[in-house]
Amino acid sequence: MTIPAQPTLVKPAMRRRAFLRSQMRNIAPFVTLIALVAFFWAASPSFATMDNVANILTQISVAGIMAVGLTFVILCAEIDLSFAAIANAAGIVVAYFTAQASYVNVHNIPLPGGVAIVLAILACAALGLVNAFGLTVIGLPSFIMTLAMMQIAAGICALLVRGQIVYAVPDLVKELGAGSIGGIPWIVIVLAAFLLAGHIVLTYTRFGRYVYMVGGNREAAEYSGVNVNRVLAAVLVISAVCAGVAGMLGVAHFGSAQQNEFDGYLLDAIAAVVVGGTSLFGGRGGIGNTIIGLCVLGVLNNGLDHVQIDSFLKILIRGLILLAALIINVYAQNLRSGAVQEAE
Amino acid sequence: MIVFEERPGADARLRMEGISKSFGGVAALRDVDFELGRGQIHGLVGENGAGKSTLMKIIAGVHNTYQGRMLVEGKEVRFGSARDALDAGIGMVHQELSVVPYLTVAENVYLGKQPTRMGMIDWKTMEEGASAQLRNLGIDVNPRTIMGDLPIGLQQLIELARVLFSGARIIILDEPTSALSPPEVHKLFEVLKGVRESGRSIVFISHFLDDILSISDVVTIFRNGRRVATDRTENIDKTWVIERMIGRGHEDIEESYTGAIALSSEPTGTAVLSARDLSFGRAFSGLSFEARAGEVLGIYGFMGCGQIELSRVLFGKLAPNGGALSVNGNEMKLKNTAAARRAGIALVPESRRSMLFYQEPVFKNISISSLGRIAKLWLKPRAEKRIAERQTKDLNIRPPNVANLLGNLSGGNQQKVALAKWLAYRPRVLILSEPTRGMDVGAKDDVVKIVRKLRDEGMAIIVISAEPETVLSLADRILVMKKGRIVHEFANETISKDGLLEVA
Repeated sequence: MTIPAQPTLVKPAMRRRAFLRSQMRNIAPFVTLIALVAFFWAASPSFATMDNVANILTQISVAGIMAVGLTFVILCAEIDLSFAAIANAAGIVVAYFTAQASYVNVHNIPLPGGVAIVLAILACAALGLVNAFGLTVIGLPSFIMTLAMMQIAAGICALLVRGQIVYAVPDLVKELGAGSIGGIPWIVIVLAAFLLAGHIVLTYTRFGRYVYMVGGNREAAEYSGVNVNRVLAAVLVISAVCAGVAGMLGVAHFGSAQQNEFDGYLLDAIAAVVVGGTSLFGGRGGIGNTIIGLCVLGVLNNGLDHVQIDSFLKILIRGLILLAALIINVYAQNLRSGAVQEAE
Repeated sequence: MIVFEERPGADARLRMEGISKSFGGVAALRDVDFELGRGQIHGLVGENGAGKSTLMKIIAGVHNTYQGRMLVEGKEVRFGSARDALDAGIGMVHQELSVVPYLTVAENVYLGKQPTRMGMIDWKTMEEGASAQLRNLGIDVNPRTIMGDLPIGLQQLIELARVLFSGARIIILDEPTSALSPPEVHKLFEVLKGVRESGRSIVFISHFLDDILSISDVVTIFRNGRRVATDRTENIDKTWVIERMIGRGHEDIEESYTGAIALSSEPTGTAVLSARDLSFGRAFSGLSFEARAGEVLGIYGFMGCGQIELSRVLFGKLAPNGGALSVNGNEMKLKNTAAARRAGIALVPESRRSMLFYQEPVFKNISISSLGRIAKLWLKPRAEKRIAERQTKDLNIRPPNVANLLGNLSGGNQQKVALAKWLAYRPRVLILSEPTRGMDVGAKDDVVKIVRKLRDEGMAIIVISAEPETVLSLADRILVMKKGRIVHEFANETISKDGLLEVA
């Protein structure tokens, strides 16, 4: 549609508005983060300290590594509900293949640490491949397929530990999950490495471009000769492997592996990606958004501990903030398509 | 009024007087008179965009701003909505069926007005009623059958039954035979004759002139928004209709393509893509043909003749049920569109929406198909932009800044970007589905020039269209498809539009 004459005066203002609208999904999470930081800074003297910043970063690490893989999936307009269970499975598998103390009553198979780690990662990749198979070959919606996988991975955990708790993990995992170097926890460094790698892959590689294009308009990607199914399969495997690493380090971080250990991270990681502004409809967003989302979540969880608040109310507050972010996410999508139409 | 009273068929069910309608300054109907008699089957023909659909939509209450008068049973009416038209006894059966495939036949017949008893659906009454209704029309089907399990022809008859059952005395059928096999057409005609016996009136719109001529009592021909002729079927034949449809011997030829075209296909070109006995579901079967290097192969057929599905099968989007495809003599199964692209086959589909990324810049839209050649692992944005800039220059895409968001370009330029995507890739076979749909004359000329240039460079090109002009202006050899089969091939001969329409 062409807009008839007289736009010369209106144009710059209109353009600015269209630009702001299109950037809404990046601006809103950032404003939210600043508002939360300002609030907790004012509300609690213990919040804005270097120690607490390190605290927050450590607290978001496990969810953050998961969120990197999940960002790929959501950018493709799919969802993965199985990653937290897969993380749990990875943690248990790596512990299962590590020698446990004699009082641990699990019939496990001790192997060298390196082998245990490789086996755990392969197990995750295999579960991710099963997800991919269900989605691309059978044609199940990712929502359903990964819901089933959530149960399957939980089942694997249950079978391996049979209700017991295991503690020992390979030294490398233990160091990365619980150790630190020069005062910086290794797990934070791993998170930073994953975020950086995710960002580089999404922004500077051909595969990353395909992820955005498949998410932006799947039909168009197919008609452009892109192997859409291969891209979808790849993002599900990436998500599972990221979850696996997060799970292994998480077990070391918490000092033990048991069933349902990471259930709470399902919501945390999804919330981080979506609160950050990555579109649930695919094609928009990225690791930058996920970083902001993780910070919002980390500040919120941590900050609520620093102010006097009913700890049962915390859960409700988190839910409300997540809802608000979802509304903004969908609203930004509408604004954006509105902006494009206006420009047309 | 008096003028009309004196004409035969003064007992008209429906009369339109001096109807004009325009869309944004473009006239779709100009001063059209139309009359539908009692117990009459009235055939309506004309090319795409001749105005017949617009007139029918006015009758069915879809369009309600127009000039002129409409009289139903002698009373002037002006419908505010399709609901008003339905209440006045006018029903329409669209080309795309609006049945509910998961419900039973009886539920479909009674859709929206199921009989109830004490607040519950009265299945017995409904099933018996539907059964009786259908038997009246000579349709024998179990009312408990699930609609989707029936053949299309039968579903269409049941939708017709529903329209009749809703009390319609004027029934508009839009392209009712396009998806039907000859026996199904025969059955439909039997039913329509029964409806005519009952005194109801039918408007029958179709591109299939043989069908029109065999069922209609009266035929009206539209061209460029005008009613150009109306006559009783016994007085006319197919040639007479075609001449009037495309405007031979009339001064207002305008854009119609009436001249004869000499087709000449290069016999030396090697077969790049060949199909043998290709079939896909109900859409088409037994298609064998080849596309040769340095030649434009035109595939012409009415909407719904299977040509869209054919383009998807050739591009690996749909898997054929039977037959074989070979590229450069090697038989291959195209697993997906990526495999087709690697084999050198490209498709520009008829809807540009299905191949463009509106929220991405122009250069990403152009480079996506050839990304594997530009960049193995790491993207090379500068190389991408360079390639995109060459295409925007070659195709004269405006504005030429490739960093612009695609959504900000005009429709015609977007269409060029869709083409540029594949020109950057340089396929061996380029399939163009409706390449000039909705374009103005200048843009059409651009497309003709580009296609000729690519052909002369040795590309094999397949142009698929339901518009005769598109095929005639581009193709060196023409295949005519009709209801999923190739019925004729024109090569090395002189043909004109009516020659093409004659066989379709």
